[in-house]
Amino acid sequence: SGGRSRSRGCVLKEIHLNVTDLDLGYHTKEELIFRYCSGSCNAPETTYDLILKNLTKNKKLGKERVKPQACCRPTAFDDNLSFLDDSLVYHTLTKHSAKKCGCV
Amino acid sequence: PAVTKENNCLNAAKACNLNDTCKKYRSAYISPCTSRVSTAEVCNKRKCHKALRQFFDKVPPKHSYGMLFCSCPPVDQLACTERRRQTIVPVCSYEDKEKPNCLSLQVSCKTNYICRSRLADFFTNCQPEPRSLSGCLKENYADCLLSYSGLIGTVMTPNYLRSSQISVSPWCDCSGSGNNKEECDKFVEFFTNNTCLRNAIQAFGNGTDLSVWQPMPPV
Repeated sequence: SGGRSRSRGCVLKEIHLNVTDLDLGYHTKEELIFRYCSGSCNAPETTYDLILKNLTKNKKLGKERVKPQACCRPTAFDDNLSFLDDSLVYHTLTKHSAKKCGCV
Repeated sequence: PAVTKENNCLNAAKACNLNDTCKKYRSAYISPCTSRVSTAEVCNKRKCHKALRQFFDKVPPKHSYGMLFCSCPPVDQLACTERRRQTIVPVCSYEDKEKPNCLSLQVSCKTNYICRSRLADFFTNCQPEPRSLSGCLKENYADCLLSYSGLIGTVMTPNYLRSSQISVSPWCDCSGSGNNKEECDKFVEFFTNNTCLRNAIQAFGNGTDLSVWQPMPPV
């Protein structure tokens, strides 16, 4: 039950971008701070992870493709982002940027 | 300062979205103000107004005024002034099917506690005075801008008119005023042709009145 203490490699990072850099099809000159989760999750987080790791190592799961490792992913998202496009129409992005990261 | 091609209103929007507080409260009003609720209604106006009041209550003036009172130099007029006009999402917060008479609108404002007190503040703090250098009776631009922005989110919500110089008005006119035509015109002109308010907005936009950036909190 080490929880997130063992996932020190998985951290929140941020980058300053133009909304157009997101490539979501919007035409606007507005900008944003995009936050994302980065890093590895090597140590087993839960007993489930440990069992899966052991079963894979001992070839008990045959040829099935199961990822024995957790992934560094958002566990919470940032507030919504609104912007005005070049045609004077507002858009709001939800769940577009990470707020917290974890090995899940 | 030199006239640049920079769109100040766009720069203010960029700055807002790079600030966590401004970004949060900006999208918190844009969502309700742009969400269609039925085929008949473009939005829930009550929710839009409430979120707009919150935006001006919670966001530091550096950011909220930055978008509302941004200056648009003659170069690149249209893109800049249109963006400034869109700040409050006028299609929901401002425009309506009918344009009521301004005096009737004033009566309905007075039935609401928030609107009544904010309209009174606006008339006190933006009172023009031609003999003063500032153009205001109370020589405090910050108080005038605070009272003006305080009207946003009430039935008296004002917005910029499409005109060559800075002119604002609530969504009403003086048709059907009858005997009260003169009184109505006076009411409208306090918005549309108010030297004190215009100077206050221009001083903020040009960055010539630094006291505006840190106004006194409302009592």
